[in-house]
Amino acid sequence: MPAGSPATASVAPSVRRDGHERPIAVAKASLRPEPQRDTATTTLIYAYLACAAVWLVIGTLIGEYLGIKFTAPDLEHVPWLSYGRLRPVHTNTVFWGWSSLALIALSLYVVPKTSNRRLFSVPLAWASLVLINLAVVVGDVLLMAGVNNGGQEYREYVWPVQALFAAGAVLVAYNLVQTVAKREVEEIYISNWYIVAAFLWTITVVVIAYLPFYQTNPISESVIQGYYMHMGVGMWFTPLALGLTYYFLPKLLNKPIYSYSLGVLAFWTQMLFYTMIGAHHFVFAPVPWWIQTVAIIFSVGMVVTLAAGTGNFLLTMRGSFRTVARSYSLPFVLAGILAYFFWSAQGSLEALRSLNHVWHFTNFTVAHSHLTMYGFVAFLIWGGVYGLVPRLTAREPSHLLVGVHFWFALVGLTFYGAALMVGGTMQGLTWIAGAPFIESVNAMVPFWLWRAVGGSMMFLSHLVFAYNLWTMRPARAAVPVTAPARAARALS
Amino acid sequence: MSLHSDHRLLFGTVFLGFLALSAIIAVGPAIWVEDNTQALPASRPLTDHERQGLKVYVGEGCVACHTQQVRPIAMDAVWGRPSVPGDYAHVEPLGALSPYAPALLGSSRTGPDLTNVGARQPSETWHLLHLYDPRIVVPDSVMPAYPWLFEVVAEAGDDDVVVPVPGPRAPAAGQVVPTERGHALVAYLLSLQQAPLEGAMAGHSAEGATR
Repeated sequence: MPAGSPATASVAPSVRRDGHERPIAVAKASLRPEPQRDTATTTLIYAYLACAAVWLVIGTLIGEYLGIKFTAPDLEHVPWLSYGRLRPVHTNTVFWGWSSLALIALSLYVVPKTSNRRLFSVPLAWASLVLINLAVVVGDVLLMAGVNNGGQEYREYVWPVQALFAAGAVLVAYNLVQTVAKREVEEIYISNWYIVAAFLWTITVVVIAYLPFYQTNPISESVIQGYYMHMGVGMWFTPLALGLTYYFLPKLLNKPIYSYSLGVLAFWTQMLFYTMIGAHHFVFAPVPWWIQTVAIIFSVGMVVTLAAGTGNFLLTMRGSFRTVARSYSLPFVLAGILAYFFWSAQGSLEALRSLNHVWHFTNFTVAHSHLTMYGFVAFLIWGGVYGLVPRLTAREPSHLLVGVHFWFALVGLTFYGAALMVGGTMQGLTWIAGAPFIESVNAMVPFWLWRAVGGSMMFLSHLVFAYNLWTMRPARAAVPVTAPARAARALS
Repeated sequence: MSLHSDHRLLFGTVFLGFLALSAIIAVGPAIWVEDNTQALPASRPLTDHERQGLKVYVGEGCVACHTQQVRPIAMDAVWGRPSVPGDYAHVEPLGALSPYAPALLGSSRTGPDLTNVGARQPSETWHLLHLYDPRIVVPDSVMPAYPWLFEVVAEAGDDDVVVPVPGPRAPAAGQVVPTERGHALVAYLLSLQQAPLEGAMAGHSAEGATR
């Protein structure tokens, strides 16, 4: 998909003294897309993205509210809105409602496209959408009512609720595997390695995490929790986002990926190294010391995976940065790739005992999780959405508003991350200095304020994104126009 | 047969490989822990009342901000001796909807560690006031208040514990008493006391541990 002609006056201009018009933003390349013939798939993918956008707005509105509560704990005293109950609502909504549905939406396009055939079953994909939405609605309501799984992070939904999500994921997995199995090309494209693997891994992770037999005391539960909370992120969101990037990046640049083999290397090291590092969430905890050590060693090993993946993407981009600058989708992809490298490497550093000593239990961890889930995963999702949807529906968003989305999200995240990284480090140093505990709370107060500022910018950008997605909606199914009618209209 | 063109081989390898690694790093060690953890001789199981309190603790999401693990490093010495697996052995799954041990170890210390809070802060009145409005006892606290664990009654009964809420924060009329759930939560918090370690481990404490 080559970039089309430069945009013409899609951005409100101002007039310079010499009389020439000066746009207030750099013009971006426009598309001259044709609507896809396959309207059933377009409607399906758009429905996934629309649900995802709704969950993004709800989930981050809650996150924003939680951030404000740190600076104003007596805002209200409604039990359903109290911090402890609402925090898992935020995390689970953005995980399963926003990120998962959006990544599945893009996968439902990429897997059939790279298999050179249509999706195995559209009705099955609709069923998955219903199941996953149902899981998030019921799960969130129960969490607010004070019903959870036992407080295990990211698996706070009770098992009957997570079973709904798992059923949805199993159906998508079956749908995608069947699509790949019946493909019309010889080789399985690297994107499909990552995407299908993400489903197989995550279904395994959920089953292991929700079987109770070996989790009946808090230490054995913690062994599984470290595994779960890391794999739930690293073997789901990471491979999905990377797999999609192996499609969208070369496609949007209109050139092949730099090295197919590097992609394969990154894939196998992802499986081998990443699987082993869950216990780095319990460094110095009374869980078996050897699994902590294994986790730390493999965390460092992840640098190989990171370098192979990021290097591959950046070398694909080399020489094409003009195209990136002229595109409104590729800047999201570039930001996501850089975030993948830097913030995953940050995770490896946090695993080292010397640094874990300062940062563990502090707000630094919160910065890390947002820099990765947002800077890396959400940005790659947005790159894919802005790259794909206009080509499916033949409707472009306002280039200016896409820019507003990009910069508000990026600058907001920078405030958010910087505030909590600096504040978190101070928190840790306060503890090491042996100061009274409340000093670590007082030290955080200004940083919680800056976090709320950054969070507000991020939230505003999501409203803009939701509006942009609305402007890209598919046209209503047109009444088929017969050839004679068309001829008559042309003559009139 | 090639990983690049045989989807059964590729996805089978991916699935079984991951399953094997998961068994090595997660399921296996978890089973080992289950089989090799015993409660400390000096510890006791939770009473039914304290168990109710643990359910409140988990349902209200206290674990989001409070850890219950003392690490063997110097800065954690203020919270007690380093935690050992036996400290948690009496904690059991909470019920049919949550057939797993609750996640008490925690991952965030926005508030203090609670491993030994029952010994550090043994006053029931303090805990009741703190839950009713944390800023009564800790002015700079950012902890949520839990007024729904209390009710205002015109005249407290003989069995009720009256919470001595100071002037400006007290209700206009009546007395503040904890609900059944509020009472249970405080009982649970007071039960959080480290049992002494006996024998060879007794001399080890976080004091002097390397940084």
